[in-house]
Amino acid sequence: MDTKLVAALRAVVGERGLIDDPTRLLPYESDGLAMLAVRPPLVLLPRTTAEVARCMQLLAEYGVSIVARGAGTGLAGGATPVADGVVLSTARMRDVLEVNVEDRFARVQAGVVNVDLSGLCQAHGLAYAPDPSSQMACTIGGNVANNSGGPHCFKYGATTRHILGLVIVTHDGEILDLSEPVVDPDGYDLVGLFVGSEGTFGVATEVTVRLVPAAPVVEVQLAIFADLDAACDSVSEIIKQRLEPSALEILDKLTIEAVEDSVFAAGYPREAEAVLLIEVEGVETEVNGIAREIRTILEARGALEIRTARDATQRKKLWAGRKGAFGAMGRIAPDLYVADAVVPRTKLRDLVRRTIEICRERDLRLANVFHAGDGNLHPNICYDRRDPDEVRRVLAAGHAILEACVEAGGALTGEHGVGLEKLAEMELLFTADDLAAMCRVREAWDPERRLNPGKLLPMHACLEIRTAALPPAPTSLDT
Amino acid sequence: MTLPDAKSLVDYAKSLDCIHCGLCLQSCPTFRLTGAESSSPRGRIHLMRAIGEERVEPNAAYGEELEFCLLCRHCESVCPAGVRFGPMMESARASYESVRPSGFLRRQLRSFGFRRLLPGRIALRLFGSFLRAVQVLGLDRIAFLVLGERGRDLVHLPRIAPLSARRLLPETIEAKVENGQEAAVGFLEGCVMPELFPHVNRAAANSLAALGARVHTPRGIVCCGSLHAHNGDLEGARMLARKLIEGFEPIKGGDGEAAPIVIHSAGCGAHMRELFELFEADDPWHARATAFAARVTDFTQYVAPLLAARTDVELDEGALEGPVTWDDPCHLCHAQGVREEPRDILARLVPNRRVELEGSENCCGSAGIYSLLRPADSRAVFEPKRAALERSGARTLVTANPGCQLQWQTGLRRAGSSVRVLHLAELVERALSRARSGRAGQQGHSAQQDA
Ligand SMILES: Cc1cc2nc3c(=O)[nH]c(=O)nc-3n(C[C@H](O)[C@H](O)[C@H](O)COP(=O)(O)OP(=O)(O)OC[C@H]3O[C@@H](n4cnc5c(N)ncnc54)[C@H](O)[C@@H]3O)c2cc1C
Ligand code: SF4
Ligand code: SF4
Repeated sequence: MDTKLVAALRAVVGERGLIDDPTRLLPYESDGLAMLAVRPPLVLLPRTTAEVARCMQLLAEYGVSIVARGAGTGLAGGATPVADGVVLSTARMRDVLEVNVEDRFARVQAGVVNVDLSGLCQAHGLAYAPDPSSQMACTIGGNVANNSGGPHCFKYGATTRHILGLVIVTHDGEILDLSEPVVDPDGYDLVGLFVGSEGTFGVATEVTVRLVPAAPVVEVQLAIFADLDAACDSVSEIIKQRLEPSALEILDKLTIEAVEDSVFAAGYPREAEAVLLIEVEGVETEVNGIAREIRTILEARGALEIRTARDATQRKKLWAGRKGAFGAMGRIAPDLYVADAVVPRTKLRDLVRRTIEICRERDLRLANVFHAGDGNLHPNICYDRRDPDEVRRVLAAGHAILEACVEAGGALTGEHGVGLEKLAEMELLFTADDLAAMCRVREAWDPERRLNPGKLLPMHACLEIRTAALPPAPTSLDT
Repeated sequence: MTLPDAKSLVDYAKSLDCIHCGLCLQSCPTFRLTGAESSSPRGRIHLMRAIGEERVEPNAAYGEELEFCLLCRHCESVCPAGVRFGPMMESARASYESVRPSGFLRRQLRSFGFRRLLPGRIALRLFGSFLRAVQVLGLDRIAFLVLGERGRDLVHLPRIAPLSARRLLPETIEAKVENGQEAAVGFLEGCVMPELFPHVNRAAANSLAALGARVHTPRGIVCCGSLHAHNGDLEGARMLARKLIEGFEPIKGGDGEAAPIVIHSAGCGAHMRELFELFEADDPWHARATAFAARVTDFTQYVAPLLAARTDVELDEGALEGPVTWDDPCHLCHAQGVREEPRDILARLVPNRRVELEGSENCCGSAGIYSLLRPADSRAVFEPKRAALERSGARTLVTANPGCQLQWQTGLRRAGSSVRVLHLAELVERALSRARSGRAGQQGHSAQQDA
């Protein structure tokens, strides 16, 4: 990296806002998808929108690429660095700028951690609904970029439904203030467009989020099943009956075992083949009514036991096991590949079976834990990143699973984004024309393709529409 | 210099347990302070693993990240994959110590501190008296001229008591029992406790006696070795561990069963509970250390059920002013998983005045001798704790670890705060002696509480 540029950047962010020592850069080489690793030459840790803007101006001048990074918990390699670009981390941008209780919104810096925002709202009887299982670490900026979901998004919708405004720094360092918390903006809804753009449209520096009133009564039911099919069928039935719980989650046997061995042990019975976690919320009568109907369905489907919890500590404990599930799997294998695909909820059972077969054929260990209500599957495949053959088999299994889901009428990603991991699969779902159209949108935001290059859209699809005048996009990964 | 085998420089096998999920990031005080992932638990493990895979040298930047860690072990409490960060960091530090370039002065100081001062009662006593002389002569006010940044906090240190008030505990204290049910416990005075907090030692031992235990404090046992283990001197830690085991093995109850070892310093307790980590599985000391570790219990765990069974224990209204809060020592909540008992005890002693401290499980920056080695970082970690205390409105802060107690006392004095800092044992003793004197019609108690 040009020393003059580094000196200029250092002058903007200060000594503690810049990392260029090769040893200290190493931990940035991957995000939550540890199989992909690229050591970046430089990490920037700005503190304000103005600092971000100044950095982006300098980087534009020198034509250097930028990979935005929140907490690096993403599971699709979205925050994997590129070899000749800087990582711009929001880890030092964690001020809560405003909590407006009357108008029910909050304005925060992009690096604010999801759970800190939730905690803050709680004191006012409000909630920030999207609750990814990584909420204790992931940032609001990362949530916006990935349009993240969580168990409660079944009822409340994913991140995009909760973002009212953004402050974005564009590719050339311009500050685009879209933070008026209005319901329907004049002109195009740029905020809506930006959510889910995985760092390819700009860097979000401030986020205005919608807060919802916390439900007065919340009940969690834990249904224990002797077979996974019955759990899946219960979910399909609940959906069919038009019942509206706020969350529907399934954990299979291997997951249950891992969770029960971890600090998140929630008292799930180890002999169960599957547990189904259901949350119902609302006013007393509403909760009672829905809970009763759901119970009837569960019993009809052969649930062995149904536990319920209404007090906060008990509920938290039942949930803790679900939230810690992915990490707890780390006890079983050194690394874990979390696939993320969406299937029609009526076909849940068949596709879950299919994932089991796909992994069995390739001699891989699979644990299934998923947002069943949304039909969002998370097959967790165990592997060891040091075993190249296993890594290959895992990727092949991931591909086969996505293929099966798309074939069944589903989608590529429920909530983790495309990143690097699902580039190839984008072509399963989209035609060349679709992809070219997306590339044109991307180029409107980032004409030089310096923002998270090589992610989200398959490079060659974009290359086809590129004018010869533009320099080739920098990327160091063969994808 | 030939480098040892890279995998032996770190606990490589343990480093593989980390799946890089990042859930631990926000728990880490050094990450919260800097936002740098190299200063996070995941980042440190990533570096250790890279050392093992020879992708990075054990260079100064690596060493700095190891030393910046407070070993608070908050990351372990939140890690779903069950990564045992503490032992991993201890062994990484020990290996780094063996390869780092180390100046003559540094080696001499380490050897003096770890091998002479901490394990030797006489040396410690002399040191205590020296410190007192410095305080009496007012030299602490100019200590920074010689010691630099490190000397600046000396003025805020609590006053060292005269030697007469720093007398050691008798080898046994008889149980104060009325109905003949007598238990036995082993007790550790510790290295710096008798110098800095002799009254806390007495308070803890007297409380145990008042709750029906005969308290054995084996002579000649000084330091448990946790400071050695945390700071890269595993050999020194092993030496002290063997002494510890030998000293406590003979202590038995009336039934001939090995007596519980009750520890009122969370840092020592956490280390003693994992003493077996120091020895290879085929070392005969491993089995003895395992048996020893199983006997160790924290003061609050031992006391809570006994207090709950009594109806006459209560603190006099005037004993404490205003709301009272509890700050979890890291090595109690994260390393030993003890969270409820201290709260139960406080709920008992000051039923209506307890307030929760926001972020009570976050590190206060004391971290053994960290506050001495890295004063600026230690203060930066302390600052948000102090702010949380202010928000809580508490007038008394209770904890159960001498390092934390010292950090709070020093830090609050520096900030000009008048909030009182006490060890839980001091409150327990006061309440028990009141109960006793109430029954026996006697006056007074021996608690000497520090303000
Ligand atoms: C244990 C575990 C459980 C998880 N559970 C869920 C879950 O339930 N639901 C779910 O949806 N996801 C889940 N995830 C995935 C991940 O946590 C989410 O995608 C999260 O939103 C990522 O946030 P982050 O701050 O870590 O972002 P990062 O991983 O750092 O970045 C993610 C993407 O966002 C971009 N980005 C980050 N910040 C900005 C910014 N300020 N401006 C522009 N672009 C930016 C990056 O370039 C990258 O493309 C889980 C991950 C783990 C490890
Ligand atoms: S929480 Fe545990 S597994 Fe996850 S990154 Fe931290 S140490 Fe590794
Ligand atoms: S022990 Fe404490 S300071 Fe060290 S990495 Fe873990 S959380 Fe951070």
